[in-house]
Amino acid sequence: MDAYKLMKELRVNYEQEAHYRPKETGLRLIESTTEGDSRISAKGRNAKVEDLWSLTSFFGYSTQTFVLAVNLLDRFLAMIKVQPKHLSCVSVSCLHMAAKVTEEECDLSPADELIRIGQCRFTTSDLCRMEKIVGEKLGFKSNAVTALTFLHLYHQIALSHSTDRKESLSLEKLEAQLKACLCRISFSKAKPSVLALSLLRQEMEAVQSEDMLEIAYHIQRHLKITDGELLLWSERVAPCLSDYASPECSKPNHRKLQWIVSRRTAQNLHSYRTVPELPTIPEGCWDESESEDLCEDVMSSGEESLSSSLGSDAEGPFFPLHLRRQKHLHA
Amino acid sequence: MNVPGQPPFVTFVPRQPTDCSISIALCIKMSAISASEKVDGFTRKSMRKAQKQRKSQGSSQYRTQSAPVELSPLPQLKDAPSTEQQELFTQKLQQCCMLFDFLDSVMDLKSKEIKRATLNELVDYVSTNRGVLVESTYPEITNMICTNIFRTLPPSDNPDFDPEEDEPTLEASWPHIQLVYEFLLRFLENPDFQPSIAKRHIDQKFVLQLLELFDSEDPRERDFLKTILHRIYGKFLGLRAFIRKQINNIFLRFIYETEHFNAIMSIINIHDYLVHVVCLSFCTVICLMRSCCFSVCSIINGFALPLKAEHKQFLMKVLIPLHTAKGLALFHAQLAYCVVQFLEKDPTLTEPVIRGLLKFWPKTCSQKEVMFLGEIEEILDVIEPTQFKKIQEPLFKQISKCVANPHFQVAERALYFWNNEYILSLIEENIDKVLPIMFGSLYRISKEHWNPTIVALVYNVLKTLMEMNCTLFDELTSSYKAERQREKKKEQERDELWKKLDELRLSSAALVQNNSHGLPSVQNNNNNNNNNNSSNNNDNQDTRAEAAAVPTDNKVPDAGVAASESTPCAK
Repeated sequence: MDAYKLMKELRVNYEQEAHYRPKETGLRLIESTTEGDSRISAKGRNAKVEDLWSLTSFFGYSTQTFVLAVNLLDRFLAMIKVQPKHLSCVSVSCLHMAAKVTEEECDLSPADELIRIGQCRFTTSDLCRMEKIVGEKLGFKSNAVTALTFLHLYHQIALSHSTDRKESLSLEKLEAQLKACLCRISFSKAKPSVLALSLLRQEMEAVQSEDMLEIAYHIQRHLKITDGELLLWSERVAPCLSDYASPECSKPNHRKLQWIVSRRTAQNLHSYRTVPELPTIPEGCWDESESEDLCEDVMSSGEESLSSSLGSDAEGPFFPLHLRRQKHLHA
Repeated sequence: MNVPGQPPFVTFVPRQPTDCSISIALCIKMSAISASEKVDGFTRKSMRKAQKQRKSQGSSQYRTQSAPVELSPLPQLKDAPSTEQQELFTQKLQQCCMLFDFLDSVMDLKSKEIKRATLNELVDYVSTNRGVLVESTYPEITNMICTNIFRTLPPSDNPDFDPEEDEPTLEASWPHIQLVYEFLLRFLENPDFQPSIAKRHIDQKFVLQLLELFDSEDPRERDFLKTILHRIYGKFLGLRAFIRKQINNIFLRFIYETEHFNAIMSIINIHDYLVHVVCLSFCTVICLMRSCCFSVCSIINGFALPLKAEHKQFLMKVLIPLHTAKGLALFHAQLAYCVVQFLEKDPTLTEPVIRGLLKFWPKTCSQKEVMFLGEIEEILDVIEPTQFKKIQEPLFKQISKCVANPHFQVAERALYFWNNEYILSLIEENIDKVLPIMFGSLYRISKEHWNPTIVALVYNVLKTLMEMNCTLFDELTSSYKAERQREKKKEQERDELWKKLDELRLSSAALVQNNSHGLPSVQNNNNNNNNNNSSNNNDNQDTRAEAAAVPTDNKVPDAGVAASESTPCAK
């Protein structure tokens, strides 16, 4: 696609994006909710989105599916008060819906597999019902304009302008960064076009390409995005990306996961704990070396027992006092 | 004892086992199975049982007795005045040296009861009273014990005895023997017990005879022996090295020699000092292993640091190779416990131990593989982080193979490691090394494994790893996907090449028909390989004589450039 057509498409999407944004008031409400309330909190939503990402990755779905699923989820949560216990059902149905429109038939996993792997407590029929509800409320037909749409367009534009620098802007990396941002509810408040542009700029600054930044500026002017808005979101995106890229590991919260094993394996898991112990016999320091020579003699019934030779016990004045005392420890 | 037509069954039994200058029990047992079946090695149990001769249940021990002897009851010890107690004690001990035949259930009932009551009394006497163990009593006591317990064990009725499955053959004279063991234990544990006096009687010969008794099929007897050996090891410092050496040899013998189906005869040469000939049937050695490992555990735990070379040798040359034994399942728990104890004592042994286990990793036995995985988890539970770094790469390479194993139990056990908090923390510290090794297998089985439970566990593992370091995880995912793409592309290209070649084949077949008028074609003359094929050369050839020179193997072009090069010639 040539640059002109791309720009035109960009414009079209920009005009439509407002239609697919979650209600800001709804999002704020979630952000302000504290833990343990009867409403869903930001932490709860973020954790669920991370789970969605795990499922997406596991089933081999594309980033498009994930982004769409998060979009649906946020729009629904911002619109309707959902109880925390239903959050799991809502999120998985969003994922399923997104997968159905994005993925190919052959790559689609059945709903019951999704539920089993996700260790969900609801049934397939629950899932179907929830999908219908979400679809109705959101008027969802087939697709949505998301930050990913813009990211792809921007990337193509950048490519078309500088063909010799094909390798420097990795779409995969941008997608991964977008995914990291979407795991935090605050970024759902941003305009998708602005969020995508912030990500683009960050990456361009990282590779230190002046030409690229020119292109980004060009896009910004084309879409009439204000400097202030762009700066605001760039500042928020930067720490998120640096967290994502840091080599530090976060302690996984695996207590949430169920580890189901077969009966036979479960039986044998901690069999070692039942090994009965005889009391420990400490190794003596002064008897062992002597005993080595004692084994030289072949035993015969007439001979006196070998252990009676000198030095094998602490008897008599031959041994110093402290060693004699040791004898009683073994009694 | 020879049954005509059958191979000889010979038993040499010393009359008085305790009198032997060298304690020898030599037993040659040749199984009553025909030669052809022997070669096969998998003779059916039913056939063996049918052919086996049913021996009479007599015992050689009691043959020397001429007439039944009756015991006359002696007065109670508690009733006797203190001045006479010593003498009475000795008399009772001597009385208990009389042996009775329990295989005959009606003989000497009264005397047996008297002996039993006396033994009971003696047990009490030694347990509750002080000042009882005077020097003069030691020889009497040990004599009574030796007379009663040191006996030749009858040959096993069931050579394929499986300690887990079969009912054990119990000792007939247990009512008496049990009390004698009990007495021996109380004797050793008595506060007045003096090893310096006792060592004249409880010597290496005693220990050897004791070890031979581990052959007993009665688990109660082995249980007693285990505790007794433990006490002797504790009290007789001069015997410790000897005991360790004996246990060493038993294990070595087991590892390297007892892998036959039928009964076994083995001769051991111990360190040039001692010659010892023992017969151990395969099954009973298992029991011996288990009991020995119990005792060995407590010995290992008592080792002083730094560990002596002898002990390290024991670990590397005996305990680790013991993992290759066929009957490992029966004593693996104890063996693993021993290994872990060694590592708790000296963590620097971790690397050689793990490398040793990896070397002996079972390749065809899944049951053993599951055991090895359990042992690895136990070791990882106590491993030091610095040691972990040394073995993480070879270890996780093996683990990544295990998680992909089609046997679901092996995969399950390996995946369950990720439920262990400490192992997780170790992995976390070294995620940049571990994740790349595990990733490929995990991702692959998430799509390919047949067992749904395994797939669910893989999800848990992947999720856990993802949460640890998502950047690395994402990188690996994308490179894995890129790799898949490349492979797919290659496959497509290959398919296309074959398609093209197929088309060529059709076109060149058509061309040969047309070419039969003209000059002999030089298709494929430049190919020397005789790809042969078609005998569909016929029709055209016969009718056109000039074309007879056309080689017939050009109907199917060879894969490769040569074919495409030659086709222009045909035109």
